[in-house]
Amino acid sequence: MSISDDGGALDYEQARRQAGAAGHSPPLCLVLSACVVAAIALAIYLVGRHAEPATQLQLSLILGVAFGFVLQRSRFCFFCIWKDWLDRRDPQGLLGIVAALAVGLVGYTLIYGAWLPDPSGTRLPPTAHIGPVGPALLLAGLAFGAGMAISGSCISAHLYRLGEGSPTSPFALIGAVGGFILGFLSWNPLYLGTISESPVLWLPRQLGYGGALLAGLFVLGGLAWWLLRAGRPAPATAAQHAATDPLAAIFLRRWPAWLGGLFVGLIGIAAYLRLSPLGVTAEIGSRSRQLAAHFELLPSRLEGLDSFRGCATAIRDALLTPNGLFIAGIVASAFAAALAAGEFKPKRPDGGHVLRGLIGGALLGWGTVIGLGCTVGTLLSGISAGAVSGWVFGIGLLVGTTLTLKLGRRLRLLA
Amino acid sequence: MSVISLLRRGALALAAGLAAGLLASTAAFAQSGPLVTTEWLEKNLSDPKVRIVEVSVEPGVYERGHIPGAQNVVWHTDLVETVSRDIASPEKFQALARKLGVDKDTTVVLYGDSNNWFAAWGAWVFDIYGLRDNVKLLDGGRKKWELEKRPVATNPVAVKASAFTVAEPNRKLRARLTDVVATVEKKSDARILDIRSPDEFSGKIIAPAGFQELALRAGHIPGSVNVAWARAVNQADGTIKPVEELKKLYAEAGIDGSKPVITTCRIGERSSHTWFILSRVLGYQVANYDGSWTEYGNVVGLPISNPAGTVWTGK
Repeated sequence: MSISDDGGALDYEQARRQAGAAGHSPPLCLVLSACVVAAIALAIYLVGRHAEPATQLQLSLILGVAFGFVLQRSRFCFFCIWKDWLDRRDPQGLLGIVAALAVGLVGYTLIYGAWLPDPSGTRLPPTAHIGPVGPALLLAGLAFGAGMAISGSCISAHLYRLGEGSPTSPFALIGAVGGFILGFLSWNPLYLGTISESPVLWLPRQLGYGGALLAGLFVLGGLAWWLLRAGRPAPATAAQHAATDPLAAIFLRRWPAWLGGLFVGLIGIAAYLRLSPLGVTAEIGSRSRQLAAHFELLPSRLEGLDSFRGCATAIRDALLTPNGLFIAGIVASAFAAALAAGEFKPKRPDGGHVLRGLIGGALLGWGTVIGLGCTVGTLLSGISAGAVSGWVFGIGLLVGTTLTLKLGRRLRLLA
Repeated sequence: MSVISLLRRGALALAAGLAAGLLASTAAFAQSGPLVTTEWLEKNLSDPKVRIVEVSVEPGVYERGHIPGAQNVVWHTDLVETVSRDIASPEKFQALARKLGVDKDTTVVLYGDSNNWFAAWGAWVFDIYGLRDNVKLLDGGRKKWELEKRPVATNPVAVKASAFTVAEPNRKLRARLTDVVATVEKKSDARILDIRSPDEFSGKIIAPAGFQELALRAGHIPGSVNVAWARAVNQADGTIKPVEELKKLYAEAGIDGSKPVITTCRIGERSSHTWFILSRVLGYQVANYDGSWTEYGNVVGLPISNPAGTVWTGK
């Protein structure tokens, strides 16, 4: 069984080689892509006209569309990036993540200065994803990492890969619903046993805004320096040397990871300034909770769950929610972008896809509930927010992914 | 140009002039009364004697766009004591008012989300500590300001701190359990006005959907009357109804200002809204009971009235 199943979407090296040959996607795909773009534009217009509250919902959809486009074009998939490093010591993708975190950190600090001029009190900046730090968070990171290795990506990457026709992603997202429900079922004991006593640590409170920013940039800068020294950048392909046609550079060729990271950071800042921190699991979590509540699977109370910052899973009555539109935007624009670039390669799922998707997805979902978010909501939005929880979740994630991948390979279950 | 069109023009100009005059007079009225209009506030944003304070319950609402120049007050930490269930202590309130640059000679305009519930709670606490006539509520609150697409800002404002000295708390504005029990036992002639929804009042439900703070029993304080808070508000824009309509609405329930009133709800926040209307807009003598149903409904040995007949959540 192998998980390199998506025509190179998972394998950076392969994708890079393919990018050299890019530039001629079939005309039918271009027409289809144009239709999807038109449908997205119409949806944005209609949401702005008829939805309530129009501004928030419309902006959520627009940011989702932008996020999906950036993820697809730069293949911003946390697992693929980490695998590139493990297998080939290719630092490009990791440098992209470092860029996203650095941009996010600067932007959040800029916003914080206006919203909460004094960080030293008892208050936290409103809605920022700053979660409790304890053993449960580490466990959540480990589980999420294992889920990434088994299903082939994290939740945000499954969303954009859904738009690329991935055979695993639909099952991973279904598995995630199951994982969410398992997470809700195990929440109360974990909350009472450890989470309720875990401190919510926010770096600017101890270090001040300047100190937290400098410390964060110092760590990220150190990481970048080390990646560049220890890494072995992949040899430049002919495509990278070829004279660049701007349209091809945007719509056909894969973006360099650092550019993707830059845009991911900027979209994160925009989302925090205008709506809420970036996250891709609130809607899936909330719908899973609704589903489980409907079948009376949930405990009558989930102690303290809704009082924490992070990707909230509280049940909402509305048909259209900001996060629902955000993830719909991701999938739709990734679909349009993949069509235009000739990267929409649907495949009939086999048993392996289904199994890996469901099992990996369940681990992703469980880790998301206990970690109060995923690679986007807890790692990206958390580290940008100066939260210790973002870093701890990230460490758990890397360990979980690496161990699961190595074990899976030894057992010849994962490629 | 024909004579008719000239006449029409003249009539239009006259009408416009009249309208402008009327608007000007409502603006002036708005400032002298307990409510200010969104229009008045926008015209007076840069007045150094006006302090705008947002009291919203949803976190992040203020930060992502507030009325330009407004300052932020967080209801559940700034206006209450976080450990004892009480309103902010005199020292805490004085420090807050000083930080906001508020004094007896500044006009304070409070507004917020959720139909100004928490802004009205703020007005009630301000009143208890001696800031009454200069404290106003923005009619329609955040909702109307947004509906009218008026400008918002996200940058913080620096204000000069004031030297405000807190007054002795005005006991007459706050009802405690003993005051309520005295009314139930007919030792006081106050009227209790319960402003919760009819279903809460009758005991069909203990609290509105989505609220966790409950009482063990459902129902209402014996002898209290029910006028849901929302009936005093125009649903379209959240503004408070005209004085005559309000008088009629409450008089139908026997609240006409001839006797002191106690307003009550679940935790005292929605009832501050009605307290503001009765006390500040209609000028009645009103005390808000912030213990409300989560206190009264839980006290051992006190009688309740429960027309729905529910016994602790069972039948």
